[in-house]
Amino acid sequence: MWDTVIEFQAVSFAYGAMQGQRPVQAVRQVSFSIEKGAHVVLLGRNGSGKSTLARLMNGLLVPDEGQVLVDGKSTADDDSVYEIRRKCGMVFQNPDNQIIGTTVKDDIAFGPSNLGVPAGEILERIDRVLAMTGLEGLKDRAPHELSGGQKQKLAIASVLAMEPDCLILDEATAMLDPVARRDILELVQKLKRERGLTVVQITHHMEEALLADYVYVIGMGSIAFQGTPAQVFDQMDRVKAEGLSVPAHLEIARLVAAKTGRPYERDEIISFDGAVASVRRALKDLPQGTVRSCARAPAGQEVEMVLDVRDLSYSYDSPAGAPIAALHSVSLSVRRGEILGIAGHTGSGKSTLIQHFNGLIPAEQGKIILLGSDLSNRRVIREIRRQVGLLFQYPEDQLFEETVALDIAFAPKQQKKSPQQVEEAVLRAAKRLGIESILDRSPFELSGGQRRRVAIAGVLAAEPEIVILDEPAAGLDPAGRDDLFRDLLTLQSEGATLIVVSHDMELMTRFADRILVLKEGAVAGIGTPSEIVASEGFLEDAHLDMPAPKRFLDALREEYRDLDTSCFTITDAVDALLAAGGR
Amino acid sequence: MGKRSMLGRSVPGNSILHRLDARIKFLAAILIMVATLSIRDVRVMGLFILWTLVLMALSGIRVSIILRSVRPIVVIILFAVILHILTVDGHILFAIGPVRVSQEGLLAGLMTALRLSLMIINSSLFLTLTTTPLAVADALESLLSPLRFLRFPVHEFAMMMSIALRFVPTLMDEAVKIMKAQSSRGANYDTGGILKRAGGLVSILVPLFVSSFRRADDLAVAMDARCYQGEKGRTRLYTARLKFPDLAFLALVIFLLSFSLVSSRILPALTGVLGAAGG
Repeated sequence: MWDTVIEFQAVSFAYGAMQGQRPVQAVRQVSFSIEKGAHVVLLGRNGSGKSTLARLMNGLLVPDEGQVLVDGKSTADDDSVYEIRRKCGMVFQNPDNQIIGTTVKDDIAFGPSNLGVPAGEILERIDRVLAMTGLEGLKDRAPHELSGGQKQKLAIASVLAMEPDCLILDEATAMLDPVARRDILELVQKLKRERGLTVVQITHHMEEALLADYVYVIGMGSIAFQGTPAQVFDQMDRVKAEGLSVPAHLEIARLVAAKTGRPYERDEIISFDGAVASVRRALKDLPQGTVRSCARAPAGQEVEMVLDVRDLSYSYDSPAGAPIAALHSVSLSVRRGEILGIAGHTGSGKSTLIQHFNGLIPAEQGKIILLGSDLSNRRVIREIRRQVGLLFQYPEDQLFEETVALDIAFAPKQQKKSPQQVEEAVLRAAKRLGIESILDRSPFELSGGQRRRVAIAGVLAAEPEIVILDEPAAGLDPAGRDDLFRDLLTLQSEGATLIVVSHDMELMTRFADRILVLKEGAVAGIGTPSEIVASEGFLEDAHLDMPAPKRFLDALREEYRDLDTSCFTITDAVDALLAAGGR
Repeated sequence: MGKRSMLGRSVPGNSILHRLDARIKFLAAILIMVATLSIRDVRVMGLFILWTLVLMALSGIRVSIILRSVRPIVVIILFAVILHILTVDGHILFAIGPVRVSQEGLLAGLMTALRLSLMIINSSLFLTLTTTPLAVADALESLLSPLRFLRFPVHEFAMMMSIALRFVPTLMDEAVKIMKAQSSRGANYDTGGILKRAGGLVSILVPLFVSSFRRADDLAVAMDARCYQGEKGRTRLYTARLKFPDLAFLALVIFLLSFSLVSSRILPALTGVLGAAGG
């Protein structure tokens, strides 16, 4: 028993039980234990209760029934709770809301100060954890001068300064871009290796689960099933039933095995290389088929341009004084009815670019023609904003009315429509996003995914011809992400032109007709998904990820010369592989 | 993006000024404030200008950044100067219509402008530019600690101040983002009557409040998770023992203060008394 760090014994927990409201059961009868030095992942979709479990681990919440033991001591025991919190350090989802200090140094000092560590020792620890997390040189920076990834590293550093045994990451990578996410994961792996930390990671990113020793899948507040990553992902249907997905290489290997009738090794296909090897074997005995192409006809083939940008440049004042170029001579055009993806690393100028499209930022240099109007004429801006709907990242943060219906009505009311027209517009927008049933509820009592839909409906209610969305799927779990993008495709089929900003290349290649890649404020390339992924090293150079299905097919390209590697969905990739057949 | 406020932002460095104890700097800021406001003599003003220039040089901070701290009160300074020029009589230098500008008025206006500028530059050098907000909060806590006997929640007050300062830039960015989002939905904050514009503010303030409450909630949990339990057993990182340079600096500031007070208040009073006695 000595090597168990955290132990849950038949734990139940409900929110609101204390305040006399109707309690909401978040965790039911959960029992499990985490061994010292283990790397455990809790997987589950939004609202499954996984964050509640995390907060029960270090006494931030105390069970209604059962008990949680950390090193044999109960979290309900007031005498040991601070010792437990020191041992089990926690990193939260929102980088901004967990930094207490006004500088990096001060924030790291916060924890040890609370523990009464002598000042001299605290200063030593500050330097030590800065080195461990690779934040040397940022000691005196203010939190708002850090990038999202740096903020999360700071959160980890601040926890490390308390010398914990166990690191709990509560969706700590959910708000980061892929590059920063990988950075954080590598840091956690390093800390685990070098310092023997126990790691408990709460996430809905499947790739993160592959790094674990053991995975618990959480659904409806209890453990739905559990096992090693290989055991868990082997139950593909159960994983999907929980609103999660399976890593692409694993799913491709499974589907190829099923279609060819060849067995697969569960523990082999858990790794990317293993999955490739498994597919290679399965295809060997297959007769060579006809070559199959994944190419689909891109929408918006009509030549009408709804947006034409010529040589747009923009720079802003930096705190240091010298202006920083955010956009450098950007030119692009958007065709009516297409989905244009804009991809780029954090700080590549994506967000600055789209704010030009509805006149939030006037063009300093260059020309923007939108639906035939030149945006340098500021008098057209109001009309343009009606025709162009723009949704920022986490648009649910802009909701403010008492009911969902009133909030969606905000935009049509600004257009001075009659009450009846407004009502119709609200209903139409709500129906499109499947939220007609919650029109009378307060937006503030809804789940994150529902609030996101309300915010999108709020923009659609103005019935814009062009809709611009900045990272529309950020923070959503796999099922939520797919649902949202299906809605966007419906919107497109009804005639809307969509501009979607994202750094998720997997979603972009699946849904966009064309993709524009921005790199350091300049256009690195624009083309169909196939064209964008075609040249080797191009995406890597722009700090973007190669979509997983394409990466899988590329690994087999040497053997199968005719294989169409530009497939972006799992089923397309499997079909292409089966068609390429044996050698 | 765009221009950021200097509010609550310190400029990192390792100058003598940076290293002074924050409590001493806090006291110095108050004392110098009194001293500059009581300057009457032009020669004393010269001394204080010299003092401020030396401090600016010692701080190692770019002059343009230091001067930025005066920007918020430029209007007040101008107003005071104009008031003095208009109200003080004396040798008329020149006249523009009914406005007669006297030598004395010009001098008085200039002195006022200098007094206010020196006051602001000194206090921002001490309190905002070379001292992190957390150090200021720690210092305040230490200086206010006698109030504990009156049951004033000194520690909580200081902690609140420092967290507020920490979130000023975050909330300003958020306000801009929400305003842009609502503008994109057709809101118009630039035109319309006062009532309409005030109504428009609701669409910014409500989301801003909601998100502030959520941030406050998150922050409270994060503080809990890092073992915050009020001031009980807490290490104060910045309030170490006072060192010799701290005390020497305080002595210098007290000397300057007394110099200014003596020259402006006591000497005129004395000469007045002596003059009356002699006459």
